[in-house]
Amino acid sequence: MLTPVELVWLLAAVAKGDEAAFERLYAATRAKLFGVVLRILRRQDLAEEVIQEAYVKIWKSAGQFNPGLSSPITWMASIARNRAIDVVRKRSEVSIEEEPAAMEVAADTPDPLARREMTEELKRLLECVGRLEPDRQKLVLLAYYNGWSREQLAMKFETPVNTVKTWLRRSMMDIRECLGL
Amino acid sequence: MMAYSEDHIALAAEYALGTLDADERAQVEAMMSVDTDFTAMVGAWQQKLGALNQMVGSVEPRPEVWDRIKTAAGLTEGGLNGTGLAEPQAPLMLPETPPPVAPEIVAPAAAVDASNVIQLSASARRWRNIATLTTAIAAALVAMIAVGAYQPDLLPDGLRPKPRTQLVEVKTPSAPASPSAQYVAVLQKDGGSPAFILTVDAATKNFTVRKVDATAEPGKSFELWLIADKLPQPRSLGVIGAGDFTARPVLASYDTDTIKAATYAVTVEQAGGSPSGKPTSAPVFAGKLIETVPPVEPPAPTK
Repeated sequence: MLTPVELVWLLAAVAKGDEAAFERLYAATRAKLFGVVLRILRRQDLAEEVIQEAYVKIWKSAGQFNPGLSSPITWMASIARNRAIDVVRKRSEVSIEEEPAAMEVAADTPDPLARREMTEELKRLLECVGRLEPDRQKLVLLAYYNGWSREQLAMKFETPVNTVKTWLRRSMMDIRECLGL
Repeated sequence: MMAYSEDHIALAAEYALGTLDADERAQVEAMMSVDTDFTAMVGAWQQKLGALNQMVGSVEPRPEVWDRIKTAAGLTEGGLNGTGLAEPQAPLMLPETPPPVAPEIVAPAAAVDASNVIQLSASARRWRNIATLTTAIAAALVAMIAVGAYQPDLLPDGLRPKPRTQLVEVKTPSAPASPSAQYVAVLQKDGGSPAFILTVDAATKNFTVRKVDATAEPGKSFELWLIADKLPQPRSLGVIGAGDFTARPVLASYDTDTIKAATYAVTVEQAGGSPSGKPTSAPVFAGKLIETVPPVEPPAPTK
């Protein structure tokens, strides 16, 4: 298990072209990144392509990582996630996926799961998300986790795209204010 | 940083959230290429929202992916080939998280009949795995749930925790379990908060019971049971240890359908568990599994 500090060191070594460090970095982070993109792409073959491209980009641009601005895993996950979103936005035939069977049922389930494992950053963000109206909480989280477009969200929430657009913008502004960004 | 209009701020935020269309994304990327302050703003949003990735479950990519990366990145062939990656390492679960406190090793009490207690192995890795059991599919709802548990007052009435006899009503997932499928059951008493959280890895059939809020009376033990239509009587899954986590492989003897459809119940038994192998009291907590990782489609044929 690698700590963020170890990941920063690995990234620094990767930036100098250290292939062994890159291999270790990949081993330590691949499952998290793959989980993130697979959730968005819902197809193993696409997710594998995106992961491949993401790590090539990480290999080439490790020198641009700035530990003062982001955590190593978030920086890497953003590269992979952005690529995944680019892919789904260009694949117009991708439709809204059926919802997990349990989602509606369990949506109001109280569950202190993972509270202790959460970073302060996550707790703070969730506090801010929690201040949004329930529909908008769901909107923001579905957008982030599923990588859904406004159109897909509009279908899901059975509301016009323009309304979703307004909700998203308002929600992000509220979160910004709450976080003090 | 220069002052940006609300339009620009929203654009940066929605880029990080992922809701922009292809043209807008291209626009943001163009702006980032010429404006370092704007890039920093997008980066700040990505960092803030990136915390949500902690709740996405890890999924191992196939080993071929690494070969393709090496080729595409132009890495040296040989040398490292097959050294570090032949054996998959533990996936990095929550890299931003400080190392967890050492797992409490759940050891059977000395007085307990050893035959009735499965030897427990709580490793740091398992402990970490708990976090990832909230996955992908469940991640969005778990995040909301976490808000509810954390500050229920923030949630409107509709979302506030409600007393319910059984927390989780389950539609059994129809798709066959993928190697990565994970299941979670919340075991709860009528109207109370969750007492135990049971997680099952469909591939290994290992399960972990996490104690959330339950304390056995002195001289008593909590025992976990599997109740299935096919089985004439509840089957013991063993005594739940005194620590926060109890992890066991005993589900391996049950088929996946049985595991998915079963009700999991906890009874209070004499210390060390029911001597007869049958529950001696009514369940105090019960729940069913919900699938929390999406089935993964089989990989496309290689081109």
